[in-house]
Amino acid sequence: MQTIMIIEDEPDIREELAALLTGEGYRAVAVTDFSDILGQAEAERPDLILLDILLPGINGLTLCTQLRKTVQTPIIFVTSRDSAMDELRGLSLGGDDYITKPYDMLVLLARIRAVLRRSDGGEPADAIEACGLKLSLTKGVVSSQGKTVELSRNELQILAYLMRHAGEIVSRTDLIDVLWDHQIYIDDNTLSVNVTRLRSKLAELGLPDCIKTRRGLGYQL
Amino acid sequence: MRPEEFIADRLGKYMIYILLEITLGALLLATGTQPGVLLLVLSATVLAAALMQTAEYLRIRARLKELSAVFDGLDQKVLFAEVAPPGGDLYERYLSDFLCRSGKAMIGKVSDAQAANREYREYIESWVHEIKAPITAARLISRQLDGEVRRKLAAELSQIEAHVERALYYARTENPERDFVIRRTDLSRLAAQALQAHRSLLIQCGVRVETDLAECEVRTDEKWTVFILGQLLQNAARYRSETPVVTISARPVGDRVQLTVSDNGIGIPAHELPRVCDRGFTGSNGRLRGGSTGMGLYLSKKISDFLELELAVSSKEGEGTSVALTFPACASVPAGNLTES
Repeated sequence: MQTIMIIEDEPDIREELAALLTGEGYRAVAVTDFSDILGQAEAERPDLILLDILLPGINGLTLCTQLRKTVQTPIIFVTSRDSAMDELRGLSLGGDDYITKPYDMLVLLARIRAVLRRSDGGEPADAIEACGLKLSLTKGVVSSQGKTVELSRNELQILAYLMRHAGEIVSRTDLIDVLWDHQIYIDDNTLSVNVTRLRSKLAELGLPDCIKTRRGLGYQL
Repeated sequence: MRPEEFIADRLGKYMIYILLEITLGALLLATGTQPGVLLLVLSATVLAAALMQTAEYLRIRARLKELSAVFDGLDQKVLFAEVAPPGGDLYERYLSDFLCRSGKAMIGKVSDAQAANREYREYIESWVHEIKAPITAARLISRQLDGEVRRKLAAELSQIEAHVERALYYARTENPERDFVIRRTDLSRLAAQALQAHRSLLIQCGVRVETDLAECEVRTDEKWTVFILGQLLQNAARYRSETPVVTISARPVGDRVQLTVSDNGIGIPAHELPRVCDRGFTGSNGRLRGGSTGMGLYLSKKISDFLELELAVSSKEGEGTSVALTFPACASVPAGNLTES
């Protein structure tokens, strides 16, 4: 389990952020004592640090410089200071990313994943398997029982999300959210069209009723 | 100062002088002065007076020229009385003393007002940073709610954010050069940032967005440009039609790049089009829908001017609106903080 250290002085944000990260399967360590952050960072050896800039008694930018001397942990600045100068300074002092408050939670999580992936050097899993389907994300194809069909970019992301949440009901709005994360800016109608096309492609594989429509709720694989 | 102005100014004095000369002539004639001598006396006094007036004219003209050169060369016109070269006659010295005192009072007031304005702007900026913390907390807390309520709340929070952001940028446009970083940047990156920032509004409104921004590089300030794009996207969502589609596309125009954000919304009446970038102008659409501030396009236009972008709005009522942003050629960059990174 990867450990994320939260250095944030606003208690509400700190606690909610910790809960959010715990819910996403990370181990969240929230710093509440700002006197010896360096020592805590060395003791915890986190995989990632979320760092606010305006902290009681210390500036996050200074802290980043100090942290950089001892630990190689990736650092994401999370701050309400949004001037371009601040951002440039944050990144030049060794920050790995710079996110301004108020952030979208999905965006925050996506960028945490991106930074962790970079520091791991590992690529995300290429293949997903569920319900007798095998999806290759890099090739953009789905196969079942020896047969293979090609998917469009939109269909690929829809199917990937459904397969990652196999068995669960996925609401249409969640699907739209996920697609927007991948720079596919579609509306509700286009989603229906894409799901219909995806169904007919799955039918070619001999699985016509693979994606079920749950009226008023969403889709389910 | 032209000679005729000078004469016209003193016409009354000259009349009295001529009257005086006539009276003098009559008096001398009556007391038995010879006409030849009389003529001599009269022409001598008139000549002397004319010479004095010419000298006076030349002196005043030279002095005015000197003052006007100082005035024209002055960056801060309010400081004129302070820097005007001393001299002139007694009357002018008194006058300039008054001017100096009034100037001092005015400079005091101006700098007080500037300080108050700066403090106010700084307060707005810090207030905006502070309000972001509770908005972030509210966002995180709303995560625990179930789907529909959460989404509605997220949309409202985004609205609050959009208003807060406009306030911040309004305060910043007073001194844009303080936070101005021109960098080489990719248009698709800018568009993606703007779309992410306003995604909950766009998704809530059921907007489909099509982008056509293959490999288009411009030199501009990212934040300010993303802010402008955000305003355009918000307008597109606000004044949408039944099946809203927004297209963001870019094409080269000569050595410049033009980015167009067009929608298929309700459009703007032709007679309102020239005024859409005016401060506080909401138009009939804005009044009909409510919640319009008349600040989005005003700020966008103002920022475009700083960034030397050309902002052009075209629209057809009932068919849609299209806003074109033309970026300066990569070679010519607006003066400001040039940062290569």
